[in-house]
Amino acid sequence: MALGIKLARVAIIITIFALWEALSRSGIVNPRLLPAASDTLAMLGQLLQRASVRNDLAVTASEVLTAFALAVPFGALVGFLIAENRYFAEVVKPLLFFAFSIPKSIFLPMFILVFGVGFAQKVGFGFFSTIFIVIMSTTTAVEQVKVEYLTVARSYGATSAQTALRVYLPSMLPVLLEALRISMIFNLTGVILAEMYASRDGIGHQIASWGENFQMKQLLAGVVMIATIAIAFNEGIRWVETRCSHWRT
Amino acid sequence: MGGNAMQPLANITPLKSVPRAGAIEVRSVGQVFKTSTQDVVALSEVSLEVKPGRFVVIVGPSGCGKSTLLMMMAGLRQQTSGTVTINGAPILKPDPDRVGVVFQEASLFPWLTAEENVEFPLALRGVAKSERRAKAQDALRLVGLDGFGKRHPHELSGGMKQRVSIARGLVQDPPVLLMDEPFAALDEQTRMTMGDELLRIWAATGKTVVFVTHSLTEAVYLADEVVVMSPRPGRMVDHLQVPLARPRTYEMLSGDAFGRLRDRIWRHIKKSA
Amino acid sequence: MTARALRRLIVMGLIVLWEVLPRSGAIPELFLPSLSSTLLSGWNEAAEYRQALAVTLSEVAISFAFACGGGILFGAVVGSLPRPRILIMPMISSLYAVPLVILYPVFTVWFGIGPESKIAFAAIYGFLPTMLSTAAGIQTIDPQLLLAARSMGATLSQRLVRVIIPAAIPTVLSGLRVGGALVIVGVVVSEMLISSAGIGYLISRYRTILDTPHVFAGVLLVLAMAVAFNAAIKWIERRCAIWRTGTQGGQRAAREITASPLQPAT
Repeated sequence: MALGIKLARVAIIITIFALWEALSRSGIVNPRLLPAASDTLAMLGQLLQRASVRNDLAVTASEVLTAFALAVPFGALVGFLIAENRYFAEVVKPLLFFAFSIPKSIFLPMFILVFGVGFAQKVGFGFFSTIFIVIMSTTTAVEQVKVEYLTVARSYGATSAQTALRVYLPSMLPVLLEALRISMIFNLTGVILAEMYASRDGIGHQIASWGENFQMKQLLAGVVMIATIAIAFNEGIRWVETRCSHWRT
Repeated sequence: MGGNAMQPLANITPLKSVPRAGAIEVRSVGQVFKTSTQDVVALSEVSLEVKPGRFVVIVGPSGCGKSTLLMMMAGLRQQTSGTVTINGAPILKPDPDRVGVVFQEASLFPWLTAEENVEFPLALRGVAKSERRAKAQDALRLVGLDGFGKRHPHELSGGMKQRVSIARGLVQDPPVLLMDEPFAALDEQTRMTMGDELLRIWAATGKTVVFVTHSLTEAVYLADEVVVMSPRPGRMVDHLQVPLARPRTYEMLSGDAFGRLRDRIWRHIKKSA
Repeated sequence: MTARALRRLIVMGLIVLWEVLPRSGAIPELFLPSLSSTLLSGWNEAAEYRQALAVTLSEVAISFAFACGGGILFGAVVGSLPRPRILIMPMISSLYAVPLVILYPVFTVWFGIGPESKIAFAAIYGFLPTMLSTAAGIQTIDPQLLLAARSMGATLSQRLVRVIIPAAIPTVLSGLRVGGALVIVGVVVSEMLISSAGIGYLISRYRTILDTPHVFAGVLLVLAMAVAFNAAIKWIERRCAIWRTGTQGGQRAAREITASPLQPAT
């Protein structure tokens, strides 16, 4: 059954590409607006050979990873501190929730004004788009550690280090993985948006300029490329999550 | 605790002055589930006759098919073989004219008030608002919830929710009331109170009641007759009469007669475990 | 001090700092103009902002209609049919990982830089959460309620109107809240990227001429829009609060939907 579903999903994806190909080839849709799927994929292959595109990908990757490496430990620390102190949590959580729910993109101009156009601005905005979700998920992860587990650990005389290592960490692990996955989605979106808005390099910038120059083949190839990378990362983490899922009750 | 909503007996008026009761006949009923690898026999050759006005309890461990049997009487599930008839006519689909059902979790609609929940089956058949309201009032009064009609389910205790659920089952005055572990989610005290309440309502209305439970004490305490079922395959292993006097009292629980009946059921259940 | 009082104090402190820090020169006015100068510059160009707001709001309204209509319809179908659900839902949530903003250049090529491309982009942006939560709302309806309705002789259409729709309302509403927020983001972001009208456009234009007070006036306006929308949906949710509290299934679903960080409000 599981195999059947996988095959069906593959079939759906193939159908979408086939439809795309047919629409363009038959001329029902103007091929200049929608180049055929095969041409787009061929273009994707070419783009990956180009040094400039590789360089853009490397720039974007370094920005994403830097922003991630800054936002996750910092956010996790803040989130943990908030969850530890009930009073503090009660004070801060609604504020955080508000900050979380407002659109971040409107602050993008501020990052340009402060950092200028460049690496710092993009990393800064990536950090800013990610930090709130990291804080919130960490807080949730800590709070959902079952009180009974802690009570049991304490009743057997566990030290606080033992409690952290043997109770908190294992029971938080699946939630933290989920948080990492979602943070990465936010982070990637933030960095790409920052690149598209104002930047001299990076794959987001490249996509925006292909769009401005009506280079549809390159543009669609870029979209397929980023979508594939994002989905691959997402599924990778999910795969790890399911491997850890026996922790979850 | 749901008991604090209890009304003195004198205030209660039955839905109709002449009790209407139903006869249930289950004839060699079987149910087979087909899975990809094998056929699972959920019920095998169950036959049972319930006389009008009797209070019959079906008891057994989980997986013995007691709920399945009840769902067949309710027309919510079709048997693979055999027949189920109520008042002489087969039950092929849910028939609220003949059968009212009360479920384990009160399964009240959370967006409706208690009153509207009780009116629900009437609303389904387009009964006029004023008539609906009057009947719902009567039913709520019968279960001892006069004055609670405007509350939503989340404002009611577990016991009160089950009372609303019973009122909903009775509002169309069906001859048969089917109850699927209705008190299983309640705490012990509420459960005892609700048992007494149910017996009072049963006496006031004269319905035929089929009640499924896995509590032996509840079974003996409530029933005229106890049907014992056993799993793998689900089948009837005993059908015993409960000769205890009515009204049932708390003192009977510690009596010899009560103990003997409970032991007899327990031996069946132990054997099947 | 109660948490609430302290929180108010913090918020007030932040507002005061917003005024004081730029004025004292601790933060350059280019980075952060003081609150008063922001409000003042917004007020001075009120007509321009009003016009831009009208453009943005109309785009938001149309995109919202598309996102909700499509999301609820598609979500209801997927949620009530188990086979397509098992097949499609994981695919849809993988799509969530894709930074959808990369689609906007495609839409500008297809539909031009007028309102059409923004509406298309924002509608797609808001569609996913609406659809996912509608599907979840339908899927998590307590089966006991449907069984009870059936035992009372409810027909299929009666079950739909009297059980399935009311039971799904709370989850659909939380989907609309997230979807609506994303529609606002989608419209504003697309206006900021390539456009010739709307608040996002104003923000970008004033940014290029380094007129920070006017940039922040636009930012404040968008914030106000997001907050107002959120408050409106919360108000409706409160009016339907009774729905939530009922069944365990419904409660669980409502909790999951509101707790899950379904909201890449970038």
